[in-house]
Amino acid sequence: MIPFIIRRFFHLIPTFIGATLLAFIIAQLVPGDFLTQKALNPNVRPETITRLTQQFGLDQPWPVQYINWMKNIAAGNLGLSFSSNQPVIEVIGQPIRNSMYLVVLSIIMLWALAIPLGVYSAVRQYSVGDQVVSTVSYFGLAIPNFYFAQILILLIFFFRGFTRDTFGYNSLILPVAQMTSSNYNELSPLAQIWDVFKHMLMPAFVVATSGIAGFTRVLRGQMIEFLSSDFIRTAKAKGLGERAVTYKHALRPAIIPFVAGIGSLLPALIGGAGLVEIVVSWPGITPRFLTALASQDIYVVLGLLVISSLLLMVGNLVSDLLLAVVDPRIRYS
Amino acid sequence: MSKSQRQVVWEQFKKHKAALIGVGILVVMYIVTIFAGFLAPYGVNEYRRFPVTAFQPPVTIHWFDAETGRLTRPYIYNYDTERDPVTRQRVYVEDTSEAYPIRFFVRRPEAPYKILGLFESDLHLFGVDEPARIFLWGTNNLGKDLFSRVLYGGQVSLTIGILAVWVSLFLGLLMGGLSGFYGGWVDDFIMRLVEVFDAIPQLFLLIVLASLLRDPRNPLAQAFGLQMSSAQTFLMVVVVLGFVGWGGLARVIRSLILSIREMDYSQAAKALGASETRILWRHLLPATASYVIVQLTLTIPGFILAETGLSFIGLGPSEVDTSSWGLLLRDATERGISIQFVPWLLIPGIPIFLAVLSWNLVGDGLRDAFDPKKRQ
Repeated sequence: MIPFIIRRFFHLIPTFIGATLLAFIIAQLVPGDFLTQKALNPNVRPETITRLTQQFGLDQPWPVQYINWMKNIAAGNLGLSFSSNQPVIEVIGQPIRNSMYLVVLSIIMLWALAIPLGVYSAVRQYSVGDQVVSTVSYFGLAIPNFYFAQILILLIFFFRGFTRDTFGYNSLILPVAQMTSSNYNELSPLAQIWDVFKHMLMPAFVVATSGIAGFTRVLRGQMIEFLSSDFIRTAKAKGLGERAVTYKHALRPAIIPFVAGIGSLLPALIGGAGLVEIVVSWPGITPRFLTALASQDIYVVLGLLVISSLLLMVGNLVSDLLLAVVDPRIRYS
Repeated sequence: MSKSQRQVVWEQFKKHKAALIGVGILVVMYIVTIFAGFLAPYGVNEYRRFPVTAFQPPVTIHWFDAETGRLTRPYIYNYDTERDPVTRQRVYVEDTSEAYPIRFFVRRPEAPYKILGLFESDLHLFGVDEPARIFLWGTNNLGKDLFSRVLYGGQVSLTIGILAVWVSLFLGLLMGGLSGFYGGWVDDFIMRLVEVFDAIPQLFLLIVLASLLRDPRNPLAQAFGLQMSSAQTFLMVVVVLGFVGWGGLARVIRSLILSIREMDYSQAAKALGASETRILWRHLLPATASYVIVQLTLTIPGFILAETGLSFIGLGPSEVDTSSWGLLLRDATERGISIQFVPWLLIPGIPIFLAVLSWNLVGDGLRDAFDPKKRQ
């Protein structure tokens, strides 16, 4: 097991270098840089420009810049943000954490909804409920995430609560934008967590729906396959109850791929959450990425690319390992 | 008499009701798209400054005569603007003094169009006399007709997926074919490349590439002296989508080729002295065809979604003289807009949903039809 992990880990290194190189080359193609804009500003002295150019090594050819940048990454330094003059890590740390909150909640929602639905559809195959589930999940696959979020916002506006807010309108059941309420700073720590949680519910649900559709379909297929297999018949013949057969014997093997898949789910959902974050102005990775791109803050763009691809690769690695752990048929040689 | 594979597949496909419904919806959508100019009462970017039509809600069509109450030819009223005394919001009220009947086959020189880029005309299926305007699905912040823009938007949103899939197919076949056929370091290199592309989240790769290429100062544009027109931005999005999406296809084609080349018939061809290129083109690639067709049909909806996403964040085709469903949905999230007052701005999502759903249905139907295990 240990050698397998080590080998897999070393396997990642060339891919990671390739990905950073690709990201760097693309970033180099981005026309102009932050300094071009600065140089146009009459309030900035030419000396400042020269100093910054040297500081960021922008006068060097790009392979040298790349190697310098990689050396810094190896030391845990992602460079400086041009626009705020802060280390990139500090600039992108908060957005990444914010996106993580959203994604973790949506994974929980995904599991809590998809497993019962999948089991139900498999046990009551071709029933009305099964057909409703499969139709709805088919529809779920076809709705763009960001559009679904927009529709939910509209619904939240229409179906209001019974209490009145300060302006005399019926209050909204759930907040539809931002991550915190305007009075966030005055709340107690516990109330703050509750506040963020309330803001997370709608976007996390939207992100989860895209996964629920695929998850339910695959789980249903797996369950049906296991339910008709010999060991289930044996279990039933022994006189085991329906419930025990379904949950202990059929669900457990059927759920293996999903246990393992949790690693790759994480990065996939980060991407999926992207446009939803924009709709609800969630201060996450994608909005930050777009602002950095618009202000040509190259090192922030690169930093986000590097961190997200790291997350993706580590996620895939973790899911491979988990799969090897939970599924005894897989050998690590 | 035995049937050819094509006949068998077609017979199987016909049994798949959902897939047939998908085909039906798609045929209607693509026909509507081709004749968008004729069906749309207004031009894609047509609007007037006065009288104001901004954020006008969908028009009410009247079927009964106001005085006699009898069924009459459909007509609409012109709308006056008033201010809500409390909220100071603009409200549109019907001006019932004069009825404007809906006319068919009207000519509007202000809104010319071309069908398939060939036939020029200014004949529209329906319209009303000025100053009334018929906004079936309301208008956006500039007072542009949403109905017309959704029809025109299909021209971008529905074609981009189909075109991008060809770019992907070309790259996927080339890379996967080379990889599976030659093996060795070629295989290693290409598969590493796929892994590298996989390692960067697709959304971010799309965003970076699209924003890079549409910038008039980018090195490519400067080398050719291009100021990107909307047609070029369109092509750019096609290429970017196809370029980002080829990896999975290449991987599958590689593994198919690896397994097929070990099969008896390709071994036999080899023993008979067929050249490597002949084996690749005559024996290996055709064997992947059914899989590729299914895969392509299932990739198109993904590209449609990706295009609407890109347009939604403003990185798709530009707004100057085109429209796209994602771009139209962007109107609904503009700063200062409360969607509750302008819910009709969400209409453009419905065709996205229908198109993606139908392509998925057709893809699933084809997959089942090609799969011998699922034959009935």
